[in-house]
Parts: sequence; structure tokens; C-alpha cells
Amino acid sequence: MAVPAPGTKPTRRQDLLAYATLSLISIFCAVPFFWVLLTSFDGNAQLFLHWPDQWTLNNDLKVFTHEDGFRWVFNSLFTVGTATVLVMVLAGLGGYALSRSRAWWKLPFLYSILLIRVLPATALIVPLYKILLTLNNFEGNIVRAIIPAFYTPIMHSIGFIDGYLGLILVLTTGQLPLALWIMKTFFDGLPRDYEEAALMDGATMVQRIRRVLIPLALPGLAAAGLFAFMSAWGDFLLPLILLSSPELQTLPLGLFRAFLRINEIDYGLLAALAFIYLLPAVVAFGFARRFLVQTFAGGVKG
Amino acid sequence: MITLKNVRKFYGPVEVIKNVDITVEAGEFAVFVGPSGCGKSTLLRMIAGLEGIDEGDLILNGQRINDVPPDKRGIAMVFQSYALYPHMTVAENIGFSLSLKKVPQPEINRQVGEVAEILQLTDYLNRRPGALSGGQRQRVAIGRAIIKKPSLILFDEPLSNLDSALRVQMRAELQRLHRELKATVVYVTHDQVEAMTMADRIVVLNSGVVAQVGEPMELYHRPDNEFVATFIGSPKMNVVPVSISRTGPTTLHLESPIGLTLDLPNADPAVITGAGRLGIRPEHLRLVPAGTGNLDAEVAIVERLGVETYLTVGTPEAPIVVRTDGDINTRPGERVSLSVDTAGCHLFDSTGRVIRPAPTA
Repeated sequence: MAVPAPGTKPTRRQDLLAYATLSLISIFCAVPFFWVLLTSFDGNAQLFLHWPDQWTLNNDLKVFTHEDGFRWVFNSLFTVGTATVLVMVLAGLGGYALSRSRAWWKLPFLYSILLIRVLPATALIVPLYKILLTLNNFEGNIVRAIIPAFYTPIMHSIGFIDGYLGLILVLTTGQLPLALWIMKTFFDGLPRDYEEAALMDGATMVQRIRRVLIPLALPGLAAAGLFAFMSAWGDFLLPLILLSSPELQTLPLGLFRAFLRINEIDYGLLAALAFIYLLPAVVAFGFARRFLVQTFAGGVKG
Repeated sequence: MITLKNVRKFYGPVEVIKNVDITVEAGEFAVFVGPSGCGKSTLLRMIAGLEGIDEGDLILNGQRINDVPPDKRGIAMVFQSYALYPHMTVAENIGFSLSLKKVPQPEINRQVGEVAEILQLTDYLNRRPGALSGGQRQRVAIGRAIIKKPSLILFDEPLSNLDSALRVQMRAELQRLHRELKATVVYVTHDQVEAMTMADRIVVLNSGVVAQVGEPMELYHRPDNEFVATFIGSPKMNVVPVSISRTGPTTLHLESPIGLTLDLPNADPAVITGAGRLGIRPEHLRLVPAGTGNLDAEVAIVERLGVETYLTVGTPEAPIVVRTDGDINTRPGERVSLSVDTAGCHLFDSTGRVIRPAPTA
């Protein structure tokens, strides 16, 4: 923006120029979202942005009637949601321990988990798959030996490959390092006095956690959880590699496969899918925004 | 009544509390004072039960409580940071200990109301700590302590977060509260003014050792050692190296490298001679006509406080502070002659221990 010299007011022309430039950049950034929104309600959807001739909800309906939309949404929400809850619990406990501990390995440990985080997941996918496959075969043999009749449904929920459990564990592991750092830093900024005051007041360990620590840590937990949710929600590679059964497909996989179909590209359906896929992230952001600002703007105010 | 008997504490190989013996009588306002790192806060936390005691006994009302958990000791503590829970209202903060004990809500409300009355917090009960001023937060922290009806209240530098005007006001308020509640108080501070103004009894600590215990004026007039002598009192006591020689059966002659010579009459015959240190408070030095005093020196700094004026004389390496009348006309650079009031002299041996009985005029 045109920054006026101190003491002088910007002229009308400078103002106009600044706003025009900003508007142009904003429009450029907003167009894809706009396309998704318009096209998902367009009865005659096309690749190019245009004002719909007829407004319709058919595209969204198709996701849930022609396609297995409910299944995909459930799979996505269930795996990512469970992973997020796991991340929050583990990061809450672990972050507290890492903040209060004076162990010599604390810093090396924290840096090494950060290193895991910066390694591209794609590079690790083969060894990861190999390990999970070994575990899965071992587990499969046991399940087959004990209850062969329910082999498939059981393996779909607790299998390491092509099962919810495997995906949830890998998603959790992937999101945990950053969450641990967030929570460790958060607890670092939380004086021990709170806990000691509670101790003097006669609070047991459980009461200290439930009535003092969790309420105090809520902003940090919300931030850690939100980051985990958004990142895991956007993950595409892991479900692609780890899931193969159609009934385990998640939303991004559904979107991807709909796009890959050879005989037709239904832009309306794609846009509706994309819209549905966007929604939870936006809603999560809306919920956690308040805590996020608190966490990154100086922590708890006493 | 609380007693510490031969109490010791180690952090690894470092002994931070060295054989401390202290007794605080019931109803007394005791202040632990000392420079930072002297172990006063550690000692307080040991009494509270937040730090373990490695050796010795901690006895509260006749019962050894070394291994009693903090909440079972009947001790309350006001933290330096106040540690008010930001997610609870003032009422919830004050009533937290009762609610943990599953006391019925109406009873909690009644007791919180009583405490709020004493502390003038009634209008703020539904506010969060974030919406209170520093002094109000301080009172909430006190409220959280006194609602437990403790036999002993511990204060850890409670006034250090307040501005100086509020500090003076809170000092008076704490004393009033102490009188009303008749509770035993152990109060930790690094500020000797707080110690002098509030304490029934002061415990001066230095590097984990009790330097001296006594009433405020006792410490002021009869310090046991150079540390207490210079720590208590503002401005500080002047201490200069002297060589002590005997000139008669009860008279001593002191000579200091800074140019001070002094004859002490009525000195105890047992007083050692040789190297020592002489302590003189600023109020025991007087300006006299040139050439008639014990010390001639140049004025370096003049500090006017209104009712009195402090002159710093001598070299920057060995400054001597003198208290004079507020209206004095002396300017920096002038030479002055100072006379020493022999009744206010303190003699220390080379290790800093006081040589007693000190000479009296």
C-alpha cells in the first residue's frame, strides 16, 4: 500500500490505487473458492467460471445418492477425528512432562521429533508400508486362527493395512511432533504456582489435572488439536497408500477417484465434493479461532 | 507455633539450607529477609511442604510434620505471582479449597461471603482475576489463604508486583489483617523496609544460614555481625577497615586507612586489638567546624530528601554516607569535617563478627 509520509494524509488517488491493487490480489486468491461454491450449485457445471443458469442441489445430492458420500464423510471424520483426539491427549500429557522434566535427553528428543516432522512422508512411505504390512500379516494370522468367520470386518477396523487402526495410528504419529512442541511451549509459559496453589488447597492429582491444568491448557490443546485436524484432514497420500477397500475410502480419495474417471468429468459433482471436503476444516477453524489467537498472542492472561 | 530444628537442604551436592534453627511463636508476624539466593524462599517452601527437608525437624504446634502432605499441614500460602486461576471467578478462586473438600455450595457461599467482607471484595466476587487491579488480586490471593482457617499463613514476597504507593498501603492492610485474624504469619521478602515495618520478629538469612534473629530495633541497634549491620537500615551502615590499639585500660584508639582516627572511651577490657572493622550508621556522623572532627573528606554526592539530606563523602572506593539536616547548604566538591558519635559505633573482627560488648559512651 502507498505509505504516506508521516503527518501527511494520502491523496484520494493514492488511496484508490492502493485499494485497486489490493482488490485485484484478493480476487485472484478468492477465485478458486468462488468457483467451487458456484459450480457446486450449478445444474450445468463447466470447467470455466460462470454464473449458473439454474441453481440446484443435485450435485450435492448426487454425492450422497449416486456415490458413497456418507461412507466417505464418515470414514474421513472418524479416522481424522480419532487421530485428533489421540493427538490432543498424548500431546497434553507428553507436553506437560516435557515441560516440567529436567531430563538430559529432553532437548535432543524434542529436536529429533521435529526432524521426523520435516522429513517428507513420501520418502518414508515404503519402509512404513513394509513395517505395517508385517504387523498386519502377523495380526491377520492371529485373527484368522481365533475367529475366522469375522476376519474381514475385524481387519477393516483394527488392521494396520486397509484398516482404520493403521491409518489412525500413522496420522496420529505424523501430527504428534508439532502438537508436542505446541503443548510443551504452552506449559513452559504456565507457572508452576498454579499447580502448587492447587496442591496447597488440597487438590489430588486427578483434581489438579481436571480442574486446574486442563482449563488452563485449553487454548493450547485447541491449537494443537486444530493443527492436527487440519493437517490430517488434508492428508491424501497416507489414505491412498494404506486403504484399498471401497468401504474404507475417505473424502479426498473419493474426490480423487471421481476426477480420474475416464469416460466423464462431472464438474458439478467434483465441486460439490470439494465443498463438502472444505466444510469441516472451516468449521473447525471457527471453533478454535478464539483459542488460537490466545495461544499465539501471549498465552493465558492471569 | 512453628519450629525448625537443624534443618538442612541439598540441591545435588550444594547445601542451600545449612542447619537452620528458627522458632516462630503463635500469633507472631515473622519476616524472613535476605538477599536473593539466601534460601529464604526455599525455607518457606519447605515449611509449606512444596520442597522436601533433607535433615532436621519441622514442628508445627508440637507435631513433627516433615512428611505430612502440604494440604494436611493446616498451612496456607500466598504466592508471589498470586497464582489465581484465570478461568475461575473471584468467588470460585476463594472457595476452591472448600469445593475440593465437597463442602455444600450454600456453606461455601457463606464462608466466601465472610472472607470477601473482611477483604472488601464483596463487589468483585463474580469477576475473573483478569478484570481486577493488582491490589485486588493480592486480596483475592489472601482470601484464598484465610478461608482455610490455617494456623499458619506463608507469604512469598507478596508485595513485589505492586507499585510503591500500593505497597505502602498493602503493608498497613496486612498488619491490620494479622491483628484481626490473630494468625501466625511467616513472610518472606528481600526488602528490609518491609521487614522492619511489619515484623514482630525478623530472621535475617545469608547463604542458607541464619545470620541473626530478633525484633526489628534489636537488629538495628545490636547487629550480631557485619552482614546484618549493613543489610538492615537504609541508607546502609558505613563500614571501614581499622586497626585497633589500646591506649588505656578502657580506651581504644582506632585508625583507618581512609584517614579516620577515633578514640573509644569505656571500651570493654577484653576487646581484641589488631585488624578490625568499624561500622557507623549515617545518623551517627555529624558535620563539625573544619579540623575538629575525626575525618576530613570531600563531598561527592548530595541527595536532598526534604526532611533530611544525605551526603556521600570520600573516594568512590570507600564512600561514607552522612545524614544531615534537610536545609544544609553543602555542595559537591566542598571539604567537610565529620565527628563520630562513639555511642553508635560497632566493631567487627576480621571475620565480620561483632566485638561485644561494644563500647558505650
